[in-house]
Amino acid sequence: MWQIDPEKCLQCGRCQTECVLSVSAVKCFHANQVCGYCDLCGGYYRANVKELNTAAENMMCPTGAITRLFVEEPYFEYTIDESLCNGCGKCVKGCSSFGNGSLFLQIQQELCLNCNECKISKVCVSGAIQRVPVRQGYKLKDHA
Amino acid sequence: MLNLLGVARFPKPDFTSGYQYPEIVHGMPWESFWVWLDVVLLVGMMSLVAWAVHRRPSRKIIFSVSIVSVLYFGFFRTGCVCSIGSIQNVVLALVDNNYRLPFVVLLFFLLPLLFAIFFGRVFCAGVCPMGALQELVNVRNFRISRAVASALSFFPWIYLGFAILYAATRSQFIICRFDPFIPIFRLSGDVGMIVFGVSLLVISIFIGRPFCRFLCPYGAILSVVSSVATKRVEVTKKSCINCMLCHNACPVDAIREPYANKVGESRMVGVRRVLLYIMLLPLLTIGGGWLLSSQSDTLSIAHRDVYLYTLLQNNYEDKNMPTEVEAFYEMGRSIDELETSVMSVRESFNRWAWFVGALMGFVLGWKLIRLSVKRTRKTYEIEPSACVACGKCFNYCPQNISVKNE
Repeated sequence: MWQIDPEKCLQCGRCQTECVLSVSAVKCFHANQVCGYCDLCGGYYRANVKELNTAAENMMCPTGAITRLFVEEPYFEYTIDESLCNGCGKCVKGCSSFGNGSLFLQIQQELCLNCNECKISKVCVSGAIQRVPVRQGYKLKDHA
Repeated sequence: MLNLLGVARFPKPDFTSGYQYPEIVHGMPWESFWVWLDVVLLVGMMSLVAWAVHRRPSRKIIFSVSIVSVLYFGFFRTGCVCSIGSIQNVVLALVDNNYRLPFVVLLFFLLPLLFAIFFGRVFCAGVCPMGALQELVNVRNFRISRAVASALSFFPWIYLGFAILYAATRSQFIICRFDPFIPIFRLSGDVGMIVFGVSLLVISIFIGRPFCRFLCPYGAILSVVSSVATKRVEVTKKSCINCMLCHNACPVDAIREPYANKVGESRMVGVRRVLLYIMLLPLLTIGGGWLLSSQSDTLSIAHRDVYLYTLLQNNYEDKNMPTEVEAFYEMGRSIDELETSVMSVRESFNRWAWFVGALMGFVLGWKLIRLSVKRTRKTYEIEPSACVACGKCFNYCPQNISVKNE
């Protein structure tokens, strides 16, 4: 099965557009174990927003796929709605530059058509997409 | 290198409210089950077709197999991995020790060839979803002249050659990339490929199986293997009465008419031409290799490193710098390392271009020899390398119909 190496991924945005599926099989995954549960989240809010509210112009995610739940002061739990995610990687870029890097792009195997040669892998600028044996499972960030 | 993995700018929160980390399970398809079902169906359907072709000449069974194949291998399994594409995996596995060829892919490559050795191209008949799809839409058979068809039948070899070249140099899987029917099976894809696929389908309404005859690289291999098949496809078990009906029914023009080949020239002229072609064969082989290898540097741009290297030759304003170049700098790769990689890629392109060009030249010469070796036939005969065992001729043969009435 095809997997993205989260360590190599540079979030160039091609996963969103190059997949043979009209809505990419690449989705944003979230490693809660790595997340800082911050209020001011670089993956949730755009950089330099004036007001921290859920108005669309403040949100990083163009499709509104990230929701958050108040846990306790000052922590928030972030969840990705995969059915809305288009794999653009904007939140991943935000989280990697201003946060713990708990958000990452990965190929969702229930959607992936498992092409003989992944079309995204051919245009991936960092060569991050490789085939891995199925029994190896997903390349996740949880164990970091 | 940017440290993207768990930078831990913020410490892990210590929750006081007894918060539990959510358990997220990422779904996995039941892939190994489907893959093995593919193999079982592949063997089962090929055996069924082989039985329907050789034991009990019946078009109906082959037709039903075609429908099942289009629905299962085509629309349900969306056509990946197929035997045609597996050529590239096999080539890559032979070249690259790091590439582990999945066993199933090897089976997809070998099984149709194995069946072809014994029973002819039963895979093409209706098990291959691409062939089956073209077969199902075919209603008329406008005949292409023998000369044009012979010229076009060289294209699969060119396609096969380039597929080997690009797979062996780890550049691209062009068979997968330019498969015309995959977008139809998936109901999505590039506009260009959809237009290509649909136009091929429209053509195959009027001309039998254009993809199989004039493009399919796996068909090229199968045609070689099936020409030595132990059991040949026959129109009828009884004797031919030269009625020509099977010839008219054949969608791939594989049934050769008797006496059409009758030599119209003096024997010596024919023999001389064949001798000339046999002498030409090594020349064509070497010439083909030289011609393609002289273009190998241009061809090598399909490799990602070479492409990146050519991009790096230009100077960019910060604004319109290609993403590849930006990533190259961001990842901190050195230009020297890239240069050595480019050199080795170009070298392997040159080597493989020699081989592939020589193969193409050899096939061209071989085809010329085959065309000029004439043989007189007394009855209609099936040309085993071209026959896709679709079974359309069975019902047209009057000899077969009289069997039913007895």
